[in-house]
Amino acid sequence: MGIINRLAILTLVAGSVFAHHSFTAEFDQNKPVKMTGKVTEMEWSNPHSWIHLDVETNGKVVNWALETGAANSLIRRGWKKGDLPAGTVLLVDGWQARNGSATANVSSITFPDGKRLFAGSSNGSAEPSK
Amino acid sequence: MSFWFIRVRWALLGLFLLTAFCANMPAQQISRPGTTSSLPRLADGKPNFQGIWQVRARAAYDLQDHAARQGMPAGKSVVEGGEIPYQPWAAAKKLENFTNRQKADPLGKCYLPGVPRIMYMELPFQIFQTPDEIAVTFEWSQVFRLIHTSGRPPLHDGFESWMGTSRGRWEGDTLVVAVTDHNDKTWFDMAGNFHSDALKVTERYNMLDADTIQYEATMEDPKVFTKSWKISMPLVRQKNMDRLMEYQCQAEAEEASGAFERDPRTWYPQSGPVTPSETLPPGGNLAALKTGDNLRRTADGKPDLTGYYESTAGGANYGLERHARDFLTPATRGVVVDPSDGSLPYKPWARAERINRELPYRGYDDPTAHCFVAGVPRGIYTPSPFQIIQTPGYVVLLFERMAWRIIPLDNRAHIPDTIRLWQGDSVGHWEGDMLVVDTANLNGRTWLNEVGDVLSYTAHVVERFVPTADGKVTYRATVTDPIPYTKPWTIEIPLNRGKEELLEVACHEGNGDLQHLKDVRDEYRAQQKKEK
Repeated sequence: MGIINRLAILTLVAGSVFAHHSFTAEFDQNKPVKMTGKVTEMEWSNPHSWIHLDVETNGKVVNWALETGAANSLIRRGWKKGDLPAGTVLLVDGWQARNGSATANVSSITFPDGKRLFAGSSNGSAEPSK
Repeated sequence: MSFWFIRVRWALLGLFLLTAFCANMPAQQISRPGTTSSLPRLADGKPNFQGIWQVRARAAYDLQDHAARQGMPAGKSVVEGGEIPYQPWAAAKKLENFTNRQKADPLGKCYLPGVPRIMYMELPFQIFQTPDEIAVTFEWSQVFRLIHTSGRPPLHDGFESWMGTSRGRWEGDTLVVAVTDHNDKTWFDMAGNFHSDALKVTERYNMLDADTIQYEATMEDPKVFTKSWKISMPLVRQKNMDRLMEYQCQAEAEEASGAFERDPRTWYPQSGPVTPSETLPPGGNLAALKTGDNLRRTADGKPDLTGYYESTAGGANYGLERHARDFLTPATRGVVVDPSDGSLPYKPWARAERINRELPYRGYDDPTAHCFVAGVPRGIYTPSPFQIIQTPGYVVLLFERMAWRIIPLDNRAHIPDTIRLWQGDSVGHWEGDMLVVDTANLNGRTWLNEVGDVLSYTAHVVERFVPTADGKVTYRATVTDPIPYTKPWTIEIPLNRGKEELLEVACHEGNGDLQHLKDVRDEYRAQQKKEK
């Protein structure tokens, strides 16, 4: 199974993500973003890992930072370093940071064939209202 | 970060280390092999390493012979043979590190010190020992090491971290710990001695007598050194200390620089009178707690709480009260069991503050957004796992995001009221099969969750860990805090033992979110100023 196929079955369930800060405070509900781009780097770090993505709009390339889970949560989901090679094309839906930087909280990432990469970095360990 | 800030931080660190320094003992001693009959031992026959220890050597400044410099007293080498066998390029790099050390030392940025450096930092640490694991908790920034000695392999191989992965084994009376999966960012000392990510450290702990451990560490790193090399130094039992205090490196640095601002309503007063505690009326009636039957037990007959816990917590980190989903903040079902209507008995100002804290510009003020420790009781219900280690005298909580709580079980008195700590001072006892923990001395800096439920320095927290079945614990915490609340209140949360292992989260290593949150706050403040 190729790396990308393997990735498509790895999921990052939002519940495993340690929310160390309020996503609602950092990201803007009124700035939904939709983009397609090429991975430049998968940065493993804490408190969150980041997927860096080159996105071309009208001939201008902007490098976006997409927030994902902490390194240990990725490991627990079966990820390995090098699993997301540079050049991989991804389609992303999310919300931009309130400060206007090219940073996004991701609601979905898919490959061009429609397979899902994983859910976003927003926290979801809370149980739904009963 | 401004230069003066780094300088101040450096000076504080140096001053701190100097203050902690006691005497210049010979750095190297010959360890005595074999077994010694007079050593304290556990029931399993192993030497009992438990207690509070501190290095007696000047290794923290420079592992090798060194003359004095500002913030760095002279000292003898702890390296066998005197010199570290660097490859030529690495010797040049070490010199560069030394020249730039005041800015380049990762410890100056409060990054985790790594192993072996943490062992000889001249701040005390405490060892807890069971037949299957040894936990070492350090005063410095609540760092801990969890060393499995049962022989089982790590669940997740190749997880690179600041503190590495430790696996222990016994060779007679010697504890041998192999430390692997280091990152390449830590130094060995303040002098810039360094390694790569190929480092493998083998530590040997030999008890010379009841109050002395001879500590040895052998370093192998084919990318940096021409051969393996060894350091050796004594760790000395700190008989005058009955508990560890704290030094939260990043929190102190941010407070000193103004990056983390005092809240005069909740923080312990810097000077002047401390608001006397009002006497609150009693809380409401609570359902009786019932412990389970057929619980797993420790050798001393207590319920065995040992293990890895992940709390689902009903979303308590997003509101202790019932709370609807708000954009990326999940809904919560509410965990307050007293008052019975599920709402916290806030005083009006504190309710207003709680609502204000949920506004985006206040996201920056949440201490966990800065990667500071979550505090009590928040650490239990953050969506991040923790490990319980249990000995006859202590229950220790190790939080994955690098923090600990040490709970002595002898019902000792709390520390003096004037000493305030992020995690407070916890003292516990068993009530039948129920663990009861009393926490005071909180500093009032923590928030109770992301939406800003309020806790102040007058808080007194009584927690009950109630084992209801094997691997299941009901956690109940009653908070009495007269500054923000009109009466005591109680939350209840289920905890479940899982099969995972803790993996280090060195939270502030890449906390880019904080700058984003600061931008939101700064923009709000600029707007407010303009409107005036």
